[in-house]
Amino acid sequence: MTLSPRLRKSTLTVHVISSVGLLGAVAAFLILAVAGLVGRDAQTVRAAYTANGLTAWFLIVPLSYAALLTGIIQSLGTKWGLFRHYWVLAKLLLTVLAVIVLLLQMEGITYLAGVAAETTFSDADLIGLRRSIGLHAAGGVLVLLATTILSVCKPRGMTRYGWRKQNEARAALAP
Amino acid sequence: MADLPSYPGAPRWVKVSAIVVAVLVLLGVAMIVTGVGGPHGPWRHMSGNDIPPTGVTEGTRGGQAPLEAGNR
Repeated sequence: MTLSPRLRKSTLTVHVISSVGLLGAVAAFLILAVAGLVGRDAQTVRAAYTANGLTAWFLIVPLSYAALLTGIIQSLGTKWGLFRHYWVLAKLLLTVLAVIVLLLQMEGITYLAGVAAETTFSDADLIGLRRSIGLHAAGGVLVLLATTILSVCKPRGMTRYGWRKQNEARAALAP
Repeated sequence: MADLPSYPGAPRWVKVSAIVVAVLVLLGVAMIVTGVGGPHGPWRHMSGNDIPPTGVTEGTRGGQAPLEAGNR
C-alpha cells in the first residue's frame, strides 16, 4: 500500500504536529507535576494537579493516539515500512510503551486531579502518587525526545526482514 | 536466480541501545523485586495513608496542617 503524495503529506503533517505537540504537552505536564511537588502555596499545588488532569485527558491522550496512528499509517504507506528499518521499529516500540504507561497512569492522574479540586493538600498527602506522576512524566519527556531525534536523524540500519524484502524487490527488477 | 546477499547484522547504535534498554529493564525489575521501587501498578504509590478517608474535610487530611494559600 502506497499513499498518494497528497495523503502522505497530510498524514505527515498531522504526525509531526501531534508528535511534537505531545512532547510539548508532556513537558508542560512535567513542570506542573514538579510545581505540585515542591509548591508551598496550596492554591498553586491544587491548580497544578487540576491543570495536569485536564492536560492529560484533553491534550496528552488524544495527541498520543494521533501520533501513534499517523506514525503507523505513514510507515505502512511509504517505502519505510513498519518493520524494515530499525529507527522506525524503535520509534514504534517507544511510542507504544509510552502510550501504555500513560494509560496506566491516567487513573492516578484523574484521582489526583479530583482530590485537588475538592480538598487542600498537606505536604505528605498522596506523596507517593505525586512523585510517581512526576517521575513518569520525566521518563515520558526522555522517550519523546528519543523518538524526535530518531525521526530527524533516521539512523541507518535495516532489520533482517527489511533486508530480505529489499533484496527480493531488487531481484524481481533485475533482468 | 543469484543468491541474496547475506544480512550484514544490526548496526552499532541498535546494539548499544538494546544493551542500555536491557540494563534499564533489569534495574527496574531489581527495584521492584527488592522493594526499593515499592509495589508496582497504577495504584502502587497509594498506601493506606494516601487514600483519603470518607467524610474528610478540607484542611484536616493526613493529620498535618494543610498548606495555606499564600503560606510561603
